Order: sequence, then C-alpha cells, then structure tokens
Amino acid sequence: MLTTTKRAQKKRSEMTFEKCVRCGSCMKICPIFDAMGEEQYSPRGKLYLLQVMDKVESDPELAKEFRRLLFQCAMCGRCTDVCSSDVDLLRIWHEQRARAIKDAPQEFAYLGALEKSLENVKNIYGLSPEDRAVYWLDELEQEIPNLRKRVFPEAKTADVVVFLGCLMSFRASQVDVLRALFKSLEILKVDYLVLGAEEFCCGHPLDLMGDEAGAKKLRTHNKRVIKQTGAKQLITCCPGCLSQLQNNYNFTGIEVLHHTQFFDRLLQSIEPYKQTEEFTYHDPCELHRICNVKTEPRSLLKKMGVQFRELELSCCGGGGLLRMTDPNLSDKIQQLRAAREKLSSTTVITACPACREQLLGNNLKTKDIIELLVTCLSEAKG
Amino acid sequence: MNIRDIVIGANASIYYRMDFRKIKGVFYPRTDEQVQEAVAWARERGYDVTPKGGGSGLSGACTGGDRDRVMISSLQMKEVLSVSKDQGYVDVQPGATPDEINVLLAPLKMKFYVTPSSRDVATVGGMLNTDGGGNDAWVNGTMRDNTLRAKIVLYDGRLITVEQKSVKSSDSQLESDLNSVGMTINDVASSHGTLGFVTELRLSIRPIVQERLIGGLAEYRDSDELGSTLRRMIETKSPVKYGEAIVAAHPDVRGELRPPELILEFPEDYASNLENITHFRKLTAEELAKLKDVRLKLPKRNPKKGLQLALFEDYGFYGDGLKMIQEGVAGIDLLLKKHGFVPFAKYGHAPSKWYLGNNAAAYGIILHSREIRPEGITKAEVFKAVMELVDLCEEAGITPKPEHKWPYNDKVKNDRIQQIREVIGEGFNTFVLQSDCNVVLSSMV
Repeated sequence: MLTTTKRAQKKRSEMTFEKCVRCGSCMKICPIFDAMGEEQYSPRGKLYLLQVMDKVESDPELAKEFRRLLFQCAMCGRCTDVCSSDVDLLRIWHEQRARAIKDAPQEFAYLGALEKSLENVKNIYGLSPEDRAVYWLDELEQEIPNLRKRVFPEAKTADVVVFLGCLMSFRASQVDVLRALFKSLEILKVDYLVLGAEEFCCGHPLDLMGDEAGAKKLRTHNKRVIKQTGAKQLITCCPGCLSQLQNNYNFTGIEVLHHTQFFDRLLQSIEPYKQTEEFTYHDPCELHRICNVKTEPRSLLKKMGVQFRELELSCCGGGGLLRMTDPNLSDKIQQLRAAREKLSSTTVITACPACREQLLGNNLKTKDIIELLVTCLSEAKG
Repeated sequence: MNIRDIVIGANASIYYRMDFRKIKGVFYPRTDEQVQEAVAWARERGYDVTPKGGGSGLSGACTGGDRDRVMISSLQMKEVLSVSKDQGYVDVQPGATPDEINVLLAPLKMKFYVTPSSRDVATVGGMLNTDGGGNDAWVNGTMRDNTLRAKIVLYDGRLITVEQKSVKSSDSQLESDLNSVGMTINDVASSHGTLGFVTELRLSIRPIVQERLIGGLAEYRDSDELGSTLRRMIETKSPVKYGEAIVAAHPDVRGELRPPELILEFPEDYASNLENITHFRKLTAEELAKLKDVRLKLPKRNPKKGLQLALFEDYGFYGDGLKMIQEGVAGIDLLLKKHGFVPFAKYGHAPSKWYLGNNAAAYGIILHSREIRPEGITKAEVFKAVMELVDLCEEAGITPKPEHKWPYNDKVKNDRIQQIREVIGEGFNTFVLQSDCNVVLSSMV
C-alpha cells in the first residue's frame, strides 16, 4: 500500500507528464528519435505511453518493452529544454527508470555489475580503488615532478581539490587531458590536490539508474574527504561529476566549478593559440543544459583566439548510460552527427571525458579545451 | 498489441485515448514503393489506411478513429529531393517540416513561406491535408496556394499527380475520370487523409526579401475595435507580414500582455499608412522578438494549477463577423464556463486567410482557444461541450466547426470528397466522413 508521501509524490509525477500537450516539439530534436525514426523512441511517444499507461500495464510484454525504451535515452535534457508546457521530462525519466529497475530487476541484470562495482570498489570499472591514482601517475610523473605529492593523503590540504571522476582516473584515452590539466595548474601555480584512492565515484551512474540510496553513500564519503582538505574550490573536467557535485552534494563554503569556469575566471588574457587545423565545438549536454555552463568554454576559446564552427546543440550519444544499455544506438547517434555536420574533416573541441570517449570511439579527432590552453600557457612561459 | 502500435496514436488533439487493438499495422516507409507496399498490405486484409505526419494538428484526423486500420507515418520520408531556384520550387517528401526545408534553402537565399507555429514538427504532407497556414497566411497564403503539385498513392495502389488545375496519371482512364470531375489541389487541401497518401510535393519557394521591417503593438478597448481594425487592414490590402492578435489570456500566462492587442510586423515605409488604420506603439526588435516568443509558446503553456486543453483548434471570424468578435467570444466563454472550463487563452493569426468548404477564400482572424480542464470531468462531458460549441459557431456564423478544416460537418467539402472517392475508391481514413464521426471522436477524449 502506498504511504501518504508516496501517494503525493506519485500524484505530482503523474501531473507532470499529464501536462504534456503532445505538441511534438521534442520529437525531431531528440537524438534517439533521429537515429531510430519511429515515434516510440521520441520523448513525446514515451510520455504518451505514460498518459495511456492504464492500457499498457495490463499487458506484461508491453510493460517490459516500455521499460526497455526508458533506457534507450541519452538523458541529454534537450526535450526538457524545448518544452513550453512545463513538463520536467528529465525528472520523469529519472523517476521512471528507478521504477522500472524496482519493478523488474531481472531485466536490468546487465546494470547489476555496475551497481556491484560501485558498491564494492567505488568505481565504474570494477578496478581496485587503490588504482585510481596509479595509471596516470605512472604516465605523467616524469613530466610533472612532484605530482605524487599532490595526491591525497600525501597532500592533506589545498586551496583547490581536483575531482577526476572514474573516466579520467582509469582510462588511458584521458591521459592527454590530465597532462594538460595538471601542467596548466602547475604553470599557474595553483595550490591543488587530487583525491586519489579516497575519491569515490560521484554517484552519477546510480543517479541515472534512479538508485538514490546508493548514490547517497558515495556522496557522503566524498563530501567528508573533500571537507577535510579545507579547499575553497572543487574543480572537475567531467560534466557528469559536476552535475552531481553542484546539484546533489549541498556543499557549503566550497565552490564547485567546471575546469573551463575555473580557468576562464583565472585568466583575463591568454597567449594566442597557433591554430593549424579546423575546429568545431561540441557542447557537452550535461555541461550546457544541466549545469548551465555555456559562456565559459567559449570565452576561453575566444581569449585564445581559436576559430571554430559551432555544432548543433545535440548529444554525442554517450549520455544516460546509453553506451551500456544500447551501444549500437549510441554509436549510430554519433555517426549520424558526424556525417551531417562533416566532423571527419575537423577536430572536435569539447570539455567532457564521456564525449571524448564517444568521439574517439567513432574515429573522430577531438581535443579538450584544456589541451589548447596548456599549449598557450606553455608558449607564454617559453 | 505492441508499443509501436500504441505510440502511433500520439497526437496533439484531445482525441488520443483510442482502442489500440484496432491498429493492425504501423509502417514508416522511406520510398514511394514502400508506401505502395504498405497500402497493398492493408488492402489485401481489408483494412482502412490512415496517413500520419507530425501529429501536431488538433482535429484528431490522424488517429484513424475506431476502424480496423493500418497507420502509415511520413516521418521517415523527409528528404528534400530537388530545388529549382530559377523556377521557384522545391520537390520534397511529405515528412519534411517547413523548418527542415528552410534550413536547406537558406544558403540559396530562398524560402518556403508557409510556416505555422508548429513548423518544427508539422510535416508538409500533413499541412496540405489540413490546408495549414502560418501567421503570415494573409500575405503568403495557405498550403494550397503554395503547393504546385502532389503525388498521391491511392488505395488501389495507383498513382496520381494532382496539380493546381488538373490531375495526371499513367492510367489514362483514371486521369480522364478525375479531370472530368475537376479534381485539383483544392480537393487534396483539407481532405484529412481521406483521398490517399501523399508521397511527394512540389512547393513554391521565393527569394528571401531583404526589406526593413519594424514591429508595432496596438492595444484596444475591446475585441470589436480590434475586429474593425482588421477589417480596414483587409480592405486596404495591408502589407503586414506578421499579425497576431491576443484576445484573452489567463493571469497565469498574461505576463506583460494587455489583451485585446495586436502584435504587428510590417515594412517600415508602411508605418504612416498603418497609423491611419490603428494607433500603435513601435516596438524595438527585442520587444518584438519577445512578444513573438510569448505568442509562439501560448498553445503549450499550462496554468499554475490544472491542465489546459484545446476543445477547438480555432474560431474563424471574417466578413461582418469581425464586428462581433466581442459577442462571439463572450458566448463561447459563457458556454465554456457552463461546462466548468476556465477560459485560458484566445489568440491567433490576424489578419489571416483560410478557405471555406467551397474553396472560397475567407479573410479575418483565426482565433485559437485554450481552456483549463475542470477536474473530474468525464470524456462524455468534454465532448458535449465540443458539440455545443459546434452548434454555437453554426448559429453565430463563426467558421470552424469544430475546426475550420474539419470536413465531417462541412457538407460542401464532405460531398466533394465523397464525389472524388467514387472515382478513386474508398479505404483512406474513412471515419472522417462517417455520419457518426462525432461519436467516434467522443470515445477518444
């Protein structure tokens, strides 16, 4: 039986999707609909199913199909952005995903491994927590002396804490970004530290699965360690981590910033970038739409004098756990964009490790903004 | 039943809760041949065929009613096939939207000028079937004015090309029969999918004219004064490029709006002439853009409490009816309140142009309406209100009944469609023409 609170929550949620007037404005801008071309993949289609759910739930096969559809979504938030009817679609997708996993956990066994990893070793790769600061340290220590001393708990306090996130801690494809980030911080003489083995996953994947309790455990640990450092600022290169740190951690006395925000504030002018290639800029969805960081990446590029072509404000296909739930669809989204926006002849600038993985995985050239910045800073330093 | 069959029912009208078991197949063809195959699949099994575009219309025609039917969506047929800048046309598949077409035309400095507020999702195939127009239909006409030809697959699989004055077909007998009844693009316009599936359209395009336009806002004591202004604008063939009237807005969405008022955009050198017709305040570009945005979003916004819906797509006031907007709106609101609805917003293209069932052009205001739905109201009560509004409009000489493009109780249009179906055969979206169409619709509210 539903408690009063749960009943009230259910009613609120229902009212939210009932507000959809089915105008269809969310359809053509949806990357999933764009790739699949049938209405059931569109946000309107999914909300419509909720509106006629009484006819769907009576059939177990239909309910199962609907649950699968919920995870064929990049959670990019573009549907919420375009909606004029005050429907918080992202919230609905979160709620419905949680409900789907609760109702039919057996259908989401493939997510179980991820949940277990996060529960046991606190990262998405199932690797030892001790390895968080091993791979990149091995790679970068020679180039950046004393980097090891920047890792908690050897470094106990600092003005700035760098929250790397799972992707940047463990993936070799991210080392160039890390190199650029640490070198930039060193050149600018920023007092910073990295959390190392004491950094747990930010909780974002669990949030995307609707596992609020699991996410909360991770947050509690991270928050405690970060507070110990006495830092005034917390920076991350990962918009997924940023969305968690900004929206779900409720920090007091610590400012949470994306690395583009941090460097844009720090640098009034920058040595011009010696550009020899054609650039485009891809806005990471979680940075642009969820964290509302739109101007700083462009401001940094402008300060460096970088010429670039703006891309459509669409998803790379790597969000919302889509790489896990439907990797073929995830790739198709990127391939369609690459063809439509002629990406193969350019280097795509972005500011998100997940977008980077997605672009590299589809054989596209990409650079994080910090990689351009470190070139300028090194040039200026001589 | 599967999810695919259910979701094809998604549309913007109040008619969306259908018996999904009657949807026997859903097709998303990409080519003419695939359309023919889908139609053949339906025909062999004796099912009706309902074409569907973006599902942004409010008539409910794209639902197919309650017949055993096959749904054919045009959403995968969205290619722009060719452009002739010199001859001023673009050939497109039916699932392309005005926005998609205009993105491709922009580098050529050309434009397709029929741009309704739903131009991001409305397909040109659907727009021809409802004879849609935008807020500038006054100067640019409706779909029928801008469609040079339409290729159509009929229920028996034959193909016809309907032009502005005649029909062509490789079947000479069919061509002769259709030309003898005088079929033209006027018949396809507003046919609500009852004739066939449009597979290709040739649309008029024109250069993007770089003229200096300015914005103006005219406020009125009452809606009759607004109507009189519109009458004078129509009589003098005003070159207004954008005209939107806000006749009423609920406090939840009123913001800075002061209805009744008229938002206008017009050539700068017309300003002095316009001053002879109406008082107005010049708007800055930013003010105009903001007001346009407010207007664009009005159909989709919700009240702070409760939900809005559109019982009617729009009310058309034209001719002498423009002198009686105040009375007409008051009557409509009285009826709405009697049924527990709270009037939410009334706004629309003005001056505007549309066509009556006999293909005569009407000039006036197309007034869209939104209402706040009372809690607990049954679908029978909702539909009763709709039918009473139909009667009210009939008595008051207001055209849409319940939508100005809706043929089921527009006898002239209905008879004409029946006449053509006698030649081409039945099988497409038949429920629209059934005498019990209103009963079918009421079951889906």
